[in-house]
Amino acid sequence: MNVRLQTSFGDILLALDAEKAPKTVENFVQYVRDGFYDGTLFHRAMDGFMVQGGGFERGLFYFKAPAPIENEANNGLSNAVGSIAMARTANPHSASAQFFVNVEDNTFLDFTAPNERGWGYCVLGRVSEGMDIVNRMSAVETTSRAGHDDVPAEDVILKKAEVVED
Amino acid sequence: MATLFVSDVHLCAERPAAVEAFLSFIDGPARRADAVYLLGDIFDQWLGDDDDTAPHTDVLAAFSRLTNSGVPVGLFHGNHDFLVGHSFGERSGCQVLGDSSVIELGTTQALITHGDALCTDDTEYQAFRRLSRDPENQAHLLSLPMSARKQQAVELRKHSRAAKQLKPADIMDVNHDAVASAMRERNVRLLIHGHTHRPATHEFELDGQPAQRIVLGDWYESDHVLVWDTNGFRAGAVREMLP
Repeated sequence: MNVRLQTSFGDILLALDAEKAPKTVENFVQYVRDGFYDGTLFHRAMDGFMVQGGGFERGLFYFKAPAPIENEANNGLSNAVGSIAMARTANPHSASAQFFVNVEDNTFLDFTAPNERGWGYCVLGRVSEGMDIVNRMSAVETTSRAGHDDVPAEDVILKKAEVVED
Repeated sequence: MATLFVSDVHLCAERPAAVEAFLSFIDGPARRADAVYLLGDIFDQWLGDDDDTAPHTDVLAAFSRLTNSGVPVGLFHGNHDFLVGHSFGERSGCQVLGDSSVIELGTTQALITHGDALCTDDTEYQAFRRLSRDPENQAHLLSLPMSARKQQAVELRKHSRAAKQLKPADIMDVNHDAVASAMRERNVRLLIHGHTHRPATHEFELDGQPAQRIVLGDWYESDHVLVWDTNGFRAGAVREMLP
């Protein structure tokens, strides 16, 4: 299944792996279909690491995201460059809407053991087009805002997310 | 990319949350660092490189993973783990930097040390420090069986706890003259240390020039990481460095 993210930097096409991460993909696609991501920010840009979005409206007010999902990070998919994965709190099974795209091979985020330290971050797909857009997003100038570090100084906006039917 | 500084984790089996947090740091955000500096008292007790009390082995393995992944790690001695030695360095891949060192952060030279040597108002501690850092005394201590070393450590701790209760708080902080002379001697205007468990950034004047002393926090209530990157210094926490 493919999802197109229309951003203020250009379009990014995601190829989701519903076979390896069924619950995570279902959850993500539901947010896409609900229009939940439309008009949200990529609120975190860390050059050489990742860009994160899907949780904040413009102005950085926290979204109230619905129920957390099971962490499927033990599916064998790696946080390799170009992969998209779910962000979360310290609790491994706390991902809901926020996601990130790896701009480097961040294998230290992969599953190693079924415990708090080792659960890792569930990869649900990869960028199939527009990785240059993601790289540009990760390299923007950042600042600290509302208690958050690495916030793009100028808003990086996810204008619209939509499912692209095959 | 950033240079990360951590101090006073006081890893021991009695504080499993700190051990978990520290291992998460080493296997997590530390992997992305340009360099990691450990400013002493990472271990609550280190009675020689053959001290494999839990959680030492797990931590050593984590250091090894980190240094094998290409991240340089420099470890300074604290007053709890000054017996970390050559063999620890070989097994962990960490560079054991002893008491202090001057490092380069961009164009700035920074003096890095644990900080106990700067607490010169505590004369009783300084006397103990001289004895305990004496190479002959250390060689003697390390020649004892581990059980005897453990026994000595228990006695020492009893004494140290009792002594601390009798000391006014200010003599357990750094002495400003000691700070100034250490910085002058190494020709730096930036000092980073731990030990006092009083995290702060102190701005002052040294010989007419602006100077800075950054004190790292401990890992008792929460984890403290000092981050330096092209934007300068900032306080961080392990969780904040992950997606």
